[in-house]
Amino acid sequence: MSALLALVLLLAAADPAAPAPDEGKLPASVEKLFEEKGKDGKPILGDTERAYLKKLPLHTRELIGKDVDAVTLGGAAHLKVLLSLELSSQAAAIVFSDNCILCHADPESQKKIHLFSADPKATGSNELLNLKNFVSDVHFRRGLSCAGCHGGSPDKDVMTPDIAARWPKADVRHQDRTWIPEFCARCHADPNFMRGYNPSLPTDQLAKYKDSQHGILLLEKKDSKAAQCVSCHGVHGIRGPKSRLSKVHPQAIPDTCGHCHADPKYMAGYQKADGTPLPTNQVEQFKKSVHGKALLEKGDLGAPACNSCHGNHAAMPPAVASVSQVCRTCHAQNATFFDGSKHKQAFEKHHWPECEKCHGKHDIAKATDAMISAAPDGLCGACHAENAKDNKECNETALYFRSSLTDLVTKQQELRPEAEELATRGLDTEPIQASLEELKEALVQTRTRVHTFDRGGFDQGAKAGREAIAKSESLLQATRSEQRYRRNGLLVSIGLMSFLAVAMAFKIRELSRRRAKDNEGRRTP
Amino acid sequence: MEAQGQAAPASTGERLYRWLDARFGLGKLVGWARHKEVPVGGHSMVWYYLGGATLFFFTVQLASGVLLLMYYQAGEQTSYESIRYITTKVPFGWLIRSIHCWSAHLMIVSLVVHMFSTLMLKAYRRPRELTWLSGFVLFAIALGFGFSGYLLPWNELAFFATAVGTDSVKSVPVIGQWLLEVMRGGPDVTINTLYRFFALHVVILPLVMVGVVSTHLLFIQVQGMAPAMAHQPKARPGLKFFPDFILRDLLLWLVCLIALSVLVYLLPYGPGIPGMEWELGKKANPLAPAYPGIKPEWYFLWVYQLLKEFPAHLFGMEGPQAALLVVTVLMGIWALVPWLDRRAGKNQPSPMFTDLGIAAIVFMAYLMLKAWDIGGGSADHSKLPDPRSTAWTCSLITLGIGSAIALLRILAYKQRWMFFSGAALLQVVLNGVFGVDYLVAGAIAVLVVIAGLVLTLRKQPGATLEAPR
Repeated sequence: MSALLALVLLLAAADPAAPAPDEGKLPASVEKLFEEKGKDGKPILGDTERAYLKKLPLHTRELIGKDVDAVTLGGAAHLKVLLSLELSSQAAAIVFSDNCILCHADPESQKKIHLFSADPKATGSNELLNLKNFVSDVHFRRGLSCAGCHGGSPDKDVMTPDIAARWPKADVRHQDRTWIPEFCARCHADPNFMRGYNPSLPTDQLAKYKDSQHGILLLEKKDSKAAQCVSCHGVHGIRGPKSRLSKVHPQAIPDTCGHCHADPKYMAGYQKADGTPLPTNQVEQFKKSVHGKALLEKGDLGAPACNSCHGNHAAMPPAVASVSQVCRTCHAQNATFFDGSKHKQAFEKHHWPECEKCHGKHDIAKATDAMISAAPDGLCGACHAENAKDNKECNETALYFRSSLTDLVTKQQELRPEAEELATRGLDTEPIQASLEELKEALVQTRTRVHTFDRGGFDQGAKAGREAIAKSESLLQATRSEQRYRRNGLLVSIGLMSFLAVAMAFKIRELSRRRAKDNEGRRTP
Repeated sequence: MEAQGQAAPASTGERLYRWLDARFGLGKLVGWARHKEVPVGGHSMVWYYLGGATLFFFTVQLASGVLLLMYYQAGEQTSYESIRYITTKVPFGWLIRSIHCWSAHLMIVSLVVHMFSTLMLKAYRRPRELTWLSGFVLFAIALGFGFSGYLLPWNELAFFATAVGTDSVKSVPVIGQWLLEVMRGGPDVTINTLYRFFALHVVILPLVMVGVVSTHLLFIQVQGMAPAMAHQPKARPGLKFFPDFILRDLLLWLVCLIALSVLVYLLPYGPGIPGMEWELGKKANPLAPAYPGIKPEWYFLWVYQLLKEFPAHLFGMEGPQAALLVVTVLMGIWALVPWLDRRAGKNQPSPMFTDLGIAAIVFMAYLMLKAWDIGGGSADHSKLPDPRSTAWTCSLITLGIGSAIALLRILAYKQRWMFFSGAALLQVVLNGVFGVDYLVAGAIAVLVVIAGLVLTLRKQPGATLEAPR
């Protein structure tokens, strides 16, 4: 037995596969940094930094040790800046093996204009050199760091002449922005290159941009005020459109576009195709519109932002002929009904934008039944007075639409509370609620069918609504009858029980009188 | 002439009675019933009928429960669905469920009022200590019925209320976690919890209840109802149990049935007060976030609020543990009242225990009102109620109720001993009006009572803590 135990102990001791215990030991040079003190006499690095370093894998700790030895990591303050980023172990390995980041994050050796900082406001460095943003940049997270755009090599200790050689000189490139689209396109327009990073990302952005209003202004008219890649995507903190922190997230787009388009000073001098000044109230109008409220207030990311109608890289104002094409990407049924209506030909004849003519563009309000009216405040009145004033049928049709919708809505408003009232009385109103849901759906369909501008087309929706009303009324009638049955049952029961109770009360009174007499009889001999 | 001298032929009823009497000796029972009397004291007779009313509601519970059992199917896919079926498809199913729910709450109401009336009339005094104790056990079983029945519809409200309710069991020292898992049939509320609550609700508790109710009634029949105390006026002769008392009892039952019918018709899902509503709502979903504003049934609300008043830790104990210890001690005192009240046992007035009952009403009323968030300004759960304004409003209401009771006692009953109820009101004022922490206010109130009692003793050397006869 003891021999077996000895064998087990021996086997356990001699196991070559057992890893050597690593207790998060730090390289000697890193340990030394913990002795450095700040101006206040207190150690710069503390327990928090030590705990973080101990959690890093051995090779990353060794990497940091080498950086300290090579003086690319200049001291405790420098290390503290990098540790404050709270990087994952993988990101830490990238940062500590990239000499560009290391040198440009050293507060002791860099001028403020070139200093990467975790808090640029506090250090007074350039806001674009925000380290926290940089390490969350979509390029950094896919392994592309400084050298990817700036050139040079991240493993060299000194700046080489090829750095920034691919760009115009500093004094030129800040004035003339025409080089930017082509520069980004070096990678983003190369399908072979992009396949290695993000195969699903399109590579036609530059081609589209060149055809866009922004591209024409920048590349053809050399107007460096026109938006280019950096204007919308930013720099050193670029995030994908799904990130809520991204400048191109659907909810951020109105403000990103509005940064220029809502600024009257910036937009001064720009004109529409007809020569009138380009307005700057689009963003304000959009925010108040039904689309803006859905996107920004209700958080419905399916609601359109600027780019949904104007495009992204190919941003252009939609032409009159194509406005309805934009709307129909979502409102397909309305558009199809319109295509088959009498209005289609009339609109084409007058070159009117289809949807926009009645609903507006940036300030589209929620459509209401009140819009269907020949009165001056209605949508139909103004056009028909001018273009179809002799056509009585139009007004009659509009009146019919309006009155039919009003009937459906009024009935819905009458029936729903009644059903709810019966439900609180304990009656089964589920079938009624289901029928009212059918009515609700029919109302949506009927309103959509207004775009047929034809009684027959409209009635296909209205008929379903009328049927749902008839069904709801019939069900309500049956439920009310059940309620009456319950009430009558209760009244009959209460009547019988009350009769019995009164009879008992009389009996009790009679007994009490009899007892009182008996007691009196006993007292008087 | 001969025919006139002969006795009239016996009626069918009489013949049946004779037949039964020959076999079961009914004569003795009838004789006992004819001579049994209910003592009539100086107080109102109403209090004598509350036990009967409770029994009536319990009978309704049994009958409606059996009817529900014919359609109810316990199970994850069937509990909610079967209740829905009962209320929407089964003829008069809605009526039976609503009667069961209303009657359950009314049973607790009449039981509580019965218990307090017994306390005020000192009907628990020797030799009826065990009647009180068995009544206390019945009260506990009734609460068990309420708790176990709440989960059976397997809807959202029931699920989360049971999760919160059973969670407090964890606070029991040493065996808390084990007890929790026994109650739930696992660490969490699952369908296993429903299975054991179902067994408890429809088999175990009814059997125990019938046994204890029988014992309680047996005690009352053997000992008779408690006569008026020696110091109370005893003007009238006793009331014949049969038929005088029985008829009155039956009349009350009939009135209760009428009231039940009206309530069931007008408010089929309850009065809509949190802890007293039973609309089915949505089916329980253990993965869904907790139901907002979750509250237990009204008779557990004071315990629920007390748990909230305690801090996370107190004197080395966990807050809920300390709160449950307080509840256990209070319940223990309540159960042992017949033995603690020695003066009543000697047929002497014991105002201290009358005042204890009033203090209990004030104590529980304040906590209940706070649990309802009255005055907190958020009936629709759109925002959290403000605890400060809740305490303020609830304290004013409790103060109103307490003062009205005190005035009534002073003017109508010439009662003067109000140390306990005064202390309970002091706690309410300190907490609600002056914003002092609930427990600190309670400690101050207890200290004031002790100081008051000590001062009373010093002023009157040799006096006892109780009022003179």
